[in-house]
Amino acid sequence: MTILSICAHGFIYGPILVVLIYNLFNHEFARKHFFWFAGTGAVWQILAAIGGFTALNQNGQTSYAFGAFWDIRLAGAAFFELNATRFLLLLIVGLVALISVLVAHQTVDFNRSSYTNLLMILVLGMNGMLLVTDLFSLYVFLEVTGLCCFIMIAMFRSRADLEGSFKYLILSELSGIFILTAIAFLMMKTGSLRYADLAGLGQRISAGSGQLEDLLVYAALILLISGFAIKTGVVPFHSWLPDAYQSADTAVSILLSGAVNKVAGVYGLMIVMQLFGDVAPVGPSLAAVGIISIIIGALLAVRQPQYKRVVAYSSVSQMGYILLALSTGTTLGLVAALAHILSHTAFKSTLFTNAAALQEQTGTLELKDLGGLENQMPVTAFTSIIAFLSTAGIPPTAGFWSKILIILALWQAGSPVLAGVALVAGILSSAYLIRLQRTVFFGQTRPELAKVREVRGSVLTAEVLLTVITLGLGLLYPYILLLLHAGGIL
Amino acid sequence: MVLLICVGTPLLGAFLLPALGHWSEKARRWGSLLMVLTALVCAAIATVDLLHGQADAVRLQLPLGLSMGLRMDALAAFMALTACTVSAVIVVYSFGYMKTYTHLNEYYLMITFFIGAMLGLVMSTSLLQMYIFWEFSSFCCWRLIGFYRDDLSVKRADKAFMVTVLGALAMLVGFTGIYGATGTFDLDALQGSQIPGWSTGLILVGILSKSATFPLHNWLPDAGVAPSPVTSLLHAAVLVKIGVFAYARLFVLTFSIDPVITVIVPVIAAVSALVSAGCAMMATDIKRVVAYSTISQLAFILLGLSSGSRIGFAGGLLYILAHSMAKAGLFLCCGIVEHNLHTKDMTKMGGLARTMPKTAVAFAFCALSVMGIPPFSGYFAKYLVISGEVDAGHPVIAAVFILGAVMTIMYLVRLFAKVFLGPCRNPESREGNGQMVGSVLTLAVLSLLLGLLIFLPSGLITLAMEAM
Repeated sequence: MTILSICAHGFIYGPILVVLIYNLFNHEFARKHFFWFAGTGAVWQILAAIGGFTALNQNGQTSYAFGAFWDIRLAGAAFFELNATRFLLLLIVGLVALISVLVAHQTVDFNRSSYTNLLMILVLGMNGMLLVTDLFSLYVFLEVTGLCCFIMIAMFRSRADLEGSFKYLILSELSGIFILTAIAFLMMKTGSLRYADLAGLGQRISAGSGQLEDLLVYAALILLISGFAIKTGVVPFHSWLPDAYQSADTAVSILLSGAVNKVAGVYGLMIVMQLFGDVAPVGPSLAAVGIISIIIGALLAVRQPQYKRVVAYSSVSQMGYILLALSTGTTLGLVAALAHILSHTAFKSTLFTNAAALQEQTGTLELKDLGGLENQMPVTAFTSIIAFLSTAGIPPTAGFWSKILIILALWQAGSPVLAGVALVAGILSSAYLIRLQRTVFFGQTRPELAKVREVRGSVLTAEVLLTVITLGLGLLYPYILLLLHAGGIL
Repeated sequence: MVLLICVGTPLLGAFLLPALGHWSEKARRWGSLLMVLTALVCAAIATVDLLHGQADAVRLQLPLGLSMGLRMDALAAFMALTACTVSAVIVVYSFGYMKTYTHLNEYYLMITFFIGAMLGLVMSTSLLQMYIFWEFSSFCCWRLIGFYRDDLSVKRADKAFMVTVLGALAMLVGFTGIYGATGTFDLDALQGSQIPGWSTGLILVGILSKSATFPLHNWLPDAGVAPSPVTSLLHAAVLVKIGVFAYARLFVLTFSIDPVITVIVPVIAAVSALVSAGCAMMATDIKRVVAYSTISQLAFILLGLSSGSRIGFAGGLLYILAHSMAKAGLFLCCGIVEHNLHTKDMTKMGGLARTMPKTAVAFAFCALSVMGIPPFSGYFAKYLVISGEVDAGHPVIAAVFILGAVMTIMYLVRLFAKVFLGPCRNPESREGNGQMVGSVLTLAVLSLLLGLLIFLPSGLITLAMEAM
């Protein structure tokens, strides 16, 4: 057993083990100590991602294939695979899970055991999506994550929760049907759903051939992109997202925006781009969805009356940037997309953690009831400003560098107009976040909020941790670029 | 190394100030001043090196043409010295002015951080790095305009932030346009290259927004809600010079531009000068008058730098120096008046020369320098700028600017007369405290001395002219 194989198997068995052990204890004990179990699961995921990546790098390999308990050399056996991209996404899943647990420690009161179980199964589902090497397994794990999400959104039992969850359920099932149908169509053409067999399909089909199978492949692509776009929550498939984020407990919103969106949605599109990027309309359609999302999402965010809704629409807008980067299909584009996924995880989770802090301390997230809280909550105010700068792409934060990389990637790929529009649309991000700052933190304290205190404990830790990541990445990016250059990637 | 200390001390040291502030109020003040003075000394050392023919530089090589670094050349040295000197005086002034307010930790942090950003900006070797520091300064501007935290201040702060960030983003699009054409952001590699016309246009939007030039000027008068040292540092002396500096750095010293720009920009500047001078003659809020006057004077600087003639360029640089000193002094004097009378409305003032004689003298000196009356430094600058424009073959534009200069005299005389002369309407007013009055007198004397010793900055300016 090498370190690499332990880490690799850990992604599958870690969450399962946590669930099994956790349920051995009696309910009261489990409820009381959920933090340690869920936290261990999350920390394990982070360590496994870092350790595994280091081991892979030292072996000088670029990828590592393994089966859960079967021999992958058997004919037709499905297998898992790890590479640098997937390690990064696995790390993000672990990080988001950790932040969610830190926040849940203070916000989740009842339902703690269900939260822990569902969180671990959700992590398992996302790990599965990231590790598999064929489309059908991807679909199976996608459904696992989707299922956990409905329950987690609905679990806290207010009417609004149920509405948000119901919307998510319907649209998510729709996306499941789209993807399954697409898989069926692809199966008709190729007879195999492995990524290796699907790659290069673009050369084997032509729109003008008039054959039903070729047309069905195009239909499959439309369905795949729509399916994953629903999961990503980009315009015009975004309507579920603000409701779901608003109604879910903040610990769950963090999971949704930080990890589920990216793994279930963006990663799916990344696979589509990787397999079918050579089919002409795929890249441009992603770019179109991306640029529309950036603008519409930001415009909608400007007028929302509630903190979490602003942040939710901001997610729609930021996902647009990631899709724009992916649409280039170049290595730089992929690096830029991953960089923005990482920055987005950090800054959007910060904004949601701030929401948790505000909700805990003031009891409301309606913007009209908040104001001038920077004196009462200095750390929350400071972290939210850093997150604001990162979202708007203002240096020296991680968001600035990832946005610059996206712009450079677009330019390199020959779409300067898109690059220009994407950049100038950054002013819209500034607009909605500066409004948030003005109504919540910057300004004179409202008398009824004068007694509010700064949040303590795990939520504060989460805020500080995320801000350190945002700023640290921002300052270290030149070094990261040098590393990527030395590795021959840029 | 000197350059790293010069930029790093205020930029990173600023974050120690809140910690010092917890410990003692005095430590925070003197810490802030010490950092600015360190930067000033380092800039002076680097300037001396430069005059001895050895230019300091630090570089960090990065892939994708993203290399960054710091470099001292004549323009950078000139800007750095001007900025540090004025800032040091303004920091001393704020010791007296800011005593009674909350959020002082943030105030000193932002002021010091801003100076670091300014130094980083002027020594930048890359377009992207310029953009980074540019945004730092916008951020400081946002926090500082909203310093009093009332609704109006916060709204104005947001306005200033949005306008300057929009300009900066437009500029960044322009920069990426250059990157698309050449594959690098590095200024040395870009030396003398042709750039696409639309890039020039977009970068100009950034410059005009930052230097508050028509039609992107109206955030500046509104920013007067900030405390006076802030208005003085950011909106008169240093921050608004970033835009004109960028013009000099990019369009005069680095790129070769279409000659039509040397007509378009002076025309924009002329409109800006006249419109804002007109506004200054109408306004009754003393800080608004001075702010409009800033817009008008910035147009003179932009004219000098964009005229395309060497004399004009030298005049523009000298104007930056003279205007920084004098206009900072004017705002600080307004601050003393406002602090005393708790109003900015000049119709409620009169005869303050009797109760505040030192402030009145300092105001008069600074105003004379801004008007361009010999032997104050403003005179030489204004003369060179206008004669440079005549040299460049545009006597009509030069004539418009002479009209602008006459209007400058009119509104400043009006301001001085209404506030300081006539029957005394505010007998209860007193002179400001020592630090405040000392600062304004220093600036007033500097305005005069720089006029008498006009040969002092000429070494640097000659060096900058040679680089054209």
